[in-house]
Amino acid sequence: MRVVYRILAYVIAAEVALQAAFMAYAIAGLYIWVQDGGVLDSAVLESEDVPFDEAVGFMLHGINGMMIIPVLALLLLIVSFFAKIKGGIRFAVILLLWVALQIFLGLFGHEAAIFGLFHGIVAFAVYGTAFMAGFRAKRPAPEPAVGNAPQ
Amino acid sequence: MRLSRRAKTLVAVAAAVAVIAPIAWFWQASLVPDAYSVADMGRHDHGGGAPGGAASTIPVDELTVPADREADVRLTLTAAQERFTLASGREFDGYTLNGSSPGPAIRAVQGQLVEVTLENASVPDGVTLHWHGVDVPGAMDGAAGVTQDAVGVGESFVYRFVADQAGTFWYHSHQVSHEQVLGGLLGPLVITPAAGAGAEVEALALAHLYGGRRTVNGRDGEDRVAAEPGDTVRVRVVNTDFGVMPVWVDGAPFRVAAVDGTDLHGPAEVEGAAVEVAAGGRIDLVFTVPESGVVRVNLSGAALLVGEGGAAASKPPDDVLDLLHYGTKAPVGLAAAAPDREFEFRIGRRPGFLDGKPGFWWTVNGAMTPEVPMFTVAYGDVVRMRIANDSGEAHPMHLHGHHAVVLARDDVAATGSPWWVDSLEVRDGEEFEIAFVADNPGIWMDHCHNLPHAAEGLVAHLVYEGVGAPFLIGGPAGNRPE
Repeated sequence: MRVVYRILAYVIAAEVALQAAFMAYAIAGLYIWVQDGGVLDSAVLESEDVPFDEAVGFMLHGINGMMIIPVLALLLLIVSFFAKIKGGIRFAVILLLWVALQIFLGLFGHEAAIFGLFHGIVAFAVYGTAFMAGFRAKRPAPEPAVGNAPQ
Repeated sequence: MRLSRRAKTLVAVAAAVAVIAPIAWFWQASLVPDAYSVADMGRHDHGGGAPGGAASTIPVDELTVPADREADVRLTLTAAQERFTLASGREFDGYTLNGSSPGPAIRAVQGQLVEVTLENASVPDGVTLHWHGVDVPGAMDGAAGVTQDAVGVGESFVYRFVADQAGTFWYHSHQVSHEQVLGGLLGPLVITPAAGAGAEVEALALAHLYGGRRTVNGRDGEDRVAAEPGDTVRVRVVNTDFGVMPVWVDGAPFRVAAVDGTDLHGPAEVEGAAVEVAAGGRIDLVFTVPESGVVRVNLSGAALLVGEGGAAASKPPDDVLDLLHYGTKAPVGLAAAAPDREFEFRIGRRPGFLDGKPGFWWTVNGAMTPEVPMFTVAYGDVVRMRIANDSGEAHPMHLHGHHAVVLARDDVAATGSPWWVDSLEVRDGEEFEIAFVADNPGIWMDHCHNLPHAAEGLVAHLVYEGVGAPFLIGGPAGNRPE
């Protein structure tokens, strides 16, 4: 379970990097598309048709951020109950809260751009917490003697 | 206190169950059956009126124009799913009607009976036609699973309605509409008064995004219509997309003669401002071609050129015409101050499961589909509705079968011409007060015309007492109106 915990935590940290990469990729594609004469307005934004290939980055960011990362964070919490890592549950809970906050900030960014700014900053909190959780799980916590006694 | 290994495992299991069980419960509770009637959906909201005392029930599919009346305009539309070439030469995978997209323009004179036979040649999901903005009889609304079954491959359906309202409308599939409308299963419908619409030149400017690029009348970039200097021109703009579209005119001042197929009263000349057309909405612009010979009607990325000569693309003006205060006041013809029913349509958003799928979904009055309200009215009721959007995104709200007049926005009363709508852009944080007369019995969808939002649950219904719902969402016909 300790290994599963570590892998999950590091995967979540890597997911944060991917999230940033998806956005940078999509925004670069958007810029090129507009340079080529594309016109971006509400209707294009709301259209489910993809006007340029790199727009897949926006979709991946949404699916990854609203579905995959929260599921991973939940799994990490459940695994933490069994993994006997000192502070493991606490880190998993904090990470889940960061992820929840991050989703709300991402959605609120559609209302006020300032939330988007915080969304970028909280990404580092998600990354840092996930990385620390994985890092801390490296060494087993000393088992109490009674627990090691043969049954 | 030290716990034994077994006790620790038990605590861990209990904690895991405590996390998973509520999620599993919410997931399970969100599942909808494979087939259900809209009549069984959600909560009946009587809007303060007396709940239903209708003595008898008439099924919605019997609300038709008398069969013995002869049709004046008759045509057949054959729907196909195929790769086709736009008028401008670009190839696109989508849907056609009679081999083209947009489908043929249907034209009728006010009062004529229109009869359209829809045939499905090759659309696997089935098709329907909804007459967007036309207050057709209940059976003819084209909402799959609500007013009819989707028309399967090799099947057909006959739509008959009297073109009572003169104005600009459009038609589109209302089966899996978020895919079929996007893919081009649509076309324009123009109803003119017997005396003519009062312009020397009339032109359509139907905007649609194919593959994310805006076209006008199926052409990329620009379309052109011939006109001489001095001609009065009426341009009928149709927004078939899922978001609001700014329209602005270069070369001449213009008037907004009509919105959503209803003429405005005393529209003033506009210059240096854009007009916004809600998703599904229409506006008619009227202007006179100047001596320079050309007017450019900009449709955000596409344009209709009227007259001869070129006119370069321009940036949209910063100012936007506010229809709440445009034109001159006139009686609206309904007693909005003393309504028989009052409804709230509050749009929100929250995390949860939609038919088992996790996400952030739209809510109506706090509940997610299928627990959405069923607004219940009796024939002849004056209905007031407050549409409040606090969901973080804009929603173009479309009520089938009726036109509603805008009374106020954010508690600021309308002071301009009566502003009748069937497709109303409601931005995040906005509240609209609208009113209409329940004068068209049936079961009517009242939904967001950003059609993917409708597919995500932003749909309610307006139902008349004494009207029965014989069709099923899902079921053998695979009805999926959104």
